[in-house]
Amino acid sequence: MPDTTVIRIKNLSKQFNGVEVLRDINLDIKKGEVVSILGSSGSGKSTLLRCMNYLEQPERGKIFVDNMRMGVNESTNKPMTHNQLAKMREKICMVFQNFNLWPHLTVLQNVMEALLHVKKMPKKQAKEIAAEQLEKVGMEDFLEQYPITLSGGQKQRVAIARSLAMSPDVLLFDEPTSALDPERVEEVLMVMKKLSQEGYTMVVVTHEMEFARMVSDQVVFLEKGKLIEKSAPEKFFTNPDAIRVRQFLKLDPQ
Amino acid sequence: MEDWITIWEARSIFIDGFATTLGIFLYSSFIAFFIGLLLLYFLENSNKNWQYLIMLFVNGMRTIPFLVFAYLLYYGLPELGIRLDGYTAGLVGLALYHGAYFCEILLSRRRVMPNGLIEAALAHGFKKKTLFVRMILPNTVMNSLPLIGNQLINCLKDSAFLSILTVEEITFAANNIQSVHYIPIKAFACAIVLYWAITLAIEFVMNKLIKIGNQKGFNHA
Amino acid sequence: MGLYEVIELFQAAWTTMWIAAISIVIGIISALIIAIIREKKIPFLTEILTFYISIIRAVPLVTLTLFVFLSIPSFGINLHCITAGIIALTVNTTAFNAEIFRTALERFSPDQREAAESIGMSNFTFYRYIMLPQIFTISLPALVNEMSNLIKSTPAIAMIGVIDLTQVTKQISSVTYEPMPPILCAGVIYMLMISFLVKAQRMAEKKALRLAM
Repeated sequence: MPDTTVIRIKNLSKQFNGVEVLRDINLDIKKGEVVSILGSSGSGKSTLLRCMNYLEQPERGKIFVDNMRMGVNESTNKPMTHNQLAKMREKICMVFQNFNLWPHLTVLQNVMEALLHVKKMPKKQAKEIAAEQLEKVGMEDFLEQYPITLSGGQKQRVAIARSLAMSPDVLLFDEPTSALDPERVEEVLMVMKKLSQEGYTMVVVTHEMEFARMVSDQVVFLEKGKLIEKSAPEKFFTNPDAIRVRQFLKLDPQ
Repeated sequence: MEDWITIWEARSIFIDGFATTLGIFLYSSFIAFFIGLLLLYFLENSNKNWQYLIMLFVNGMRTIPFLVFAYLLYYGLPELGIRLDGYTAGLVGLALYHGAYFCEILLSRRRVMPNGLIEAALAHGFKKKTLFVRMILPNTVMNSLPLIGNQLINCLKDSAFLSILTVEEITFAANNIQSVHYIPIKAFACAIVLYWAITLAIEFVMNKLIKIGNQKGFNHA
Repeated sequence: MGLYEVIELFQAAWTTMWIAAISIVIGIISALIIAIIREKKIPFLTEILTFYISIIRAVPLVTLTLFVFLSIPSFGINLHCITAGIIALTVNTTAFNAEIFRTALERFSPDQREAAESIGMSNFTFYRYIMLPQIFTISLPALVNEMSNLIKSTPAIAMIGVIDLTQVTKQISSVTYEPMPPILCAGVIYMLMISFLVKAQRMAEKKALRLAM
């Protein structure tokens, strides 16, 4: 199988108010891979994810998506215009911790919205794709409802369908289950598991260890902005190299 | 009773005045609302210098009386070679003045819009114009309907100042009739009823829009 | 525009200010009285007051001013233009202030009244020391906003002959044939007055926030 790297991150660094939030991160994500990003709060995991679709701008380093430089015009070395950035973001869609569904649109309209107004699809085609994705996440009975009537788990599944509808090359998940009641977490994780089995490239920032162990191809650990461990789940959860990770997973008896 | 007959016989003056007021109100308020949206768009999508100038204009309009601004256009512009008649000066004045107020109304709503809404759109490839038209515009407008309604009524009331610039609208008509026939109370009572009627119409339309907004989930944000 | 004209300008500004001040003060007091009457739901009076308020909020101040100035002489009372102006401004601002107080009264929790009654507090004491101070503080930002609106609407009284800050610009330019300088100066003076009130409104908002009802 040809090696296609979808996301390549080189020497990524970022500061917030003088505090280094990301330090010299290097990470490659291949097509079809599921990469989980773990770490304690404030370690920079969300920031790293948000740099991948340029919702946060790094100070140093480069991010390549499908071999195209993100956020910077490689030929002129000037920052991309907003519209150029928007074009790249069609390929990298994000699922947010707080769902961020558009409250003034129904479930179906939420999923159709980007298809209609970003991809400029005809309405009939957009509707078909949207209905298909909503069925995939199990929300086909809620098409005409407004997000306010849905539970957290239902909203998140619609959010996933919204991103899937764009047929992105990469799906980014920013702590997708952290804002959910424990009972609702499972329904979302099941959808994400299904997606991983279908071969989607996924980058997931999460606290759900079980999920990360079962579904990931790579697990990455961030500590105070530095990437200190990057291994397959078998190694990561049983015998990681970094001491901090061993502490985090409570592997060594006190 | 005779007085009412007098008014009825002079009704064409009132009818013309009513048509003039209505025309001025509709034209200027539509343009003003559009100006408000335009200013909001440029506040979203331009550099700090433009933003500063726009806010200077918006805040400036909110600290002077409308009539002073109208005088500036009517008496002041001729010094720069631009001569506007009362009607045009009034129309331009109302549109710009209330455009600034509409901008401020929409801006204060924009400031409390949840950021996540915008980020989700950005994350799915929305360009600036699409983001504004599909996300920002609907949410700010539909959630500010009561304030927009109030501002429309203010625009209507400011149109009465144009009678000072010899525009023959409702107040001018009432003043005209009462000065000829010495029936101030009845003449102005008619004027008051006419303004009240337009206000009721505005409130009726706004209430309908608010209802539609609630059905379509706009107050859920 | 020479020194004489500048003095005229400031005299007119002073006219605007004291006329506005009187209207503001009387407007707030009468609005409070009206709001309390409406709260008590006295049958006939409440309907009339509601009618008055909804009409005034729909009528331009220019029209109202002309109405007051030209109609009252019909009853045999001779009215100076400044008095008519103050009456019109007061009648107008009272209606808006009454609505502001009404909203504040609606939001006032009945729990406080129950608590006062349960310890045997008299109605008067309750109003004087508990309810009205809170209502006033909560309404302060909106009241200050209405004060700016009043000042911005004072040019309406120019129509009946009051030489206010806006009318004086016409007077000056009819002599000097230069309309821009007095208009710009008047604009600046209005801006100063209103900016002062805007600052006052921000301070009032901070104070009202403490009550956070």
